[in-house]
Amino acid sequence: MGKAICYKEWIKTRWYLLLALVLMTAFTAYCLLNVSRVIEFKGAVHLWAVMLERDAVFIDLLTFLPLLTGLLLGIFQYVPEMQQSRLKLTLHLPYPHYRMVAAMLLYGTVTLCALYGVSLGLVTLRFETAVARELTQRVLLTALPWYLAGWAAYFLTAWVCLEPAWKRRILNLLVAAGVLRIYFLAPAPEAYNAFLPGLTLFTLLLSLLSLLSVYRFKTGEQD
Amino acid sequence: MIRISKILLFFCVTALLAWVLPWAYGFLGGAAPRTPFTLYSSVSGRFVWLESSENGPTYHDAAGATFTEREFDSLLPFFYYRQLVADNRFPDSVRGVAVTPRMAQSGSFMFRSSPRDLNTTGAGIYPMLESMSGRVDLETPSDVFRIDDRGITFIDCATNAVDTEKSAAFTEMMRRKGFEFPARVIAGNPTTRKEYDEGFFLTDRTGGLFHLKQTVGRPYVRAVPLPEGLEVAHIHVTEFRGRQYYALLTDTAGQLYVLTTEDYALHPVEIPPVDLRQEGLLIVGNPLDWTLRVAAADGAEHYYAIDSRDFSRLAEWHYPAPAPSALDRAARWVFPFRLEFTSTLDTAVYPRLLDFSARALLLGALLATAYCLLRRNNPLRLWPQTLFVLLFGIYAFIGLLLFSKR
Repeated sequence: MGKAICYKEWIKTRWYLLLALVLMTAFTAYCLLNVSRVIEFKGAVHLWAVMLERDAVFIDLLTFLPLLTGLLLGIFQYVPEMQQSRLKLTLHLPYPHYRMVAAMLLYGTVTLCALYGVSLGLVTLRFETAVARELTQRVLLTALPWYLAGWAAYFLTAWVCLEPAWKRRILNLLVAAGVLRIYFLAPAPEAYNAFLPGLTLFTLLLSLLSLLSVYRFKTGEQD
Repeated sequence: MIRISKILLFFCVTALLAWVLPWAYGFLGGAAPRTPFTLYSSVSGRFVWLESSENGPTYHDAAGATFTEREFDSLLPFFYYRQLVADNRFPDSVRGVAVTPRMAQSGSFMFRSSPRDLNTTGAGIYPMLESMSGRVDLETPSDVFRIDDRGITFIDCATNAVDTEKSAAFTEMMRRKGFEFPARVIAGNPTTRKEYDEGFFLTDRTGGLFHLKQTVGRPYVRAVPLPEGLEVAHIHVTEFRGRQYYALLTDTAGQLYVLTTEDYALHPVEIPPVDLRQEGLLIVGNPLDWTLRVAAADGAEHYYAIDSRDFSRLAEWHYPAPAPSALDRAARWVFPFRLEFTSTLDTAVYPRLLDFSARALLLGALLATAYCLLRRNNPLRLWPQTLFVLLFGIYAFIGLLLFSKR
């Protein structure tokens, strides 16, 4: 059944995933191209100097991209479920309801892992060749909250989409907006270092909210 | 699992309300009043200040006298020396010491340390400028260094490779001078936007203080003797125009010291202990005296006048912390605590629970009763929710009203 669920999710999201992969790779490559241009036109010393003196990380363009990809994946995956009460059909399959939703969420989590992995991998490869490991770490640690925000946006979108009642859905949206704000509070490099373990755990826990929406759907909550 | 999901939802809602509500409430009050611009007058031997009002600036001193703008300039001849020179009013002597505009220009400095600058995450690598390039303008170095257990390592920026020869030369020299790796504190101003370079001051594994710089590509390392028991906490390399000081330091007890260039000696500055991670420090210095402002976290500002020859205290002046407004006092009854993720004292983001108030339990009890009445249920049956509202007050009440089933 797990394979079948994955296949169903793949059918729903494959074109979006391809587009997201292209966009993610293109934006990342554009940022890294800027790094190469700086080295070519102003020299490697200038690159190091602006990273050390002005706290530049050169991938600011990516700040909201993981958030957007996570949010859109959630929409592409869960909005079809709510149209014409398809979720009801899904939940009637001979498989535990919550395990079914967990499998759907796992599919999204893993595909986002792959998407973000490509982006972070490209960033790591480029910076490792150009600057010291301390600066590469600095760039990655600065960017990690943005990618965590992508997963959070995905889980929160799933929570909002699966919610059966519109009034509650609006309240959920407000909470989701507030939660997502937490990931973008400081522009300083490595500002989230102390909070990263807690924020990662919190992000993973957000996946549980979708179960609440399914529970409400099962108990017949509606406007 | 559903119970955990519900708890998570109420946790999120309560946390968001504890973050947003006190923040929105803060907008009801106006901005806190600013303390006036205050300096110690080398002429009168008193603190003088400039206050902004609707009718323009007014000028006062600690004895209650008021001055005109021209008189105020004359009271601070080193701070306003350009105006005094332009008006042909610069004095020949101050407190019996012959002074010149050139002396005012080269002997004056301004130093600022803010907790936000100290409480930040650095990259851990530093560019070391050439201190004796023979050129007037400093140049950005082509390498950076890191210090770890094994020694100092220079990395060439162009190739991103370790310069083994230079690393070995510096490591060997530092070891020969008694430096024990790794470093505890590394302080310098690795920027070309300064007039000269004094490199870095470091403390080693044992707490010993060292001066390290690069002169004509070679290492200059000097151990700086420390008084017995002194443990350096912070170092600020000064590089003031007058070249009279190497650095300002504080020890772990908060005592401020100045390291003079003349004798490489540490001189304690006669002010109370200052915690640079929590308090801002501003020093406006001139050839005769310094004005130090210590800005405490509670809003109080403490001014000290220090003799620049022996760093003894000449005078002090205090602005108390602003009294809490009626809105602030009311907030203690409304909000049981508040949540913040950022602070003006650092650049880090993490949850901080602040301003716990037992007084808000009263409102919590009222809201818990109101919740039971609204739900038309026995408080004993609703005990988890009742306890939640009692402890978390208005945040829990709003969260439960919005998200719990009737």
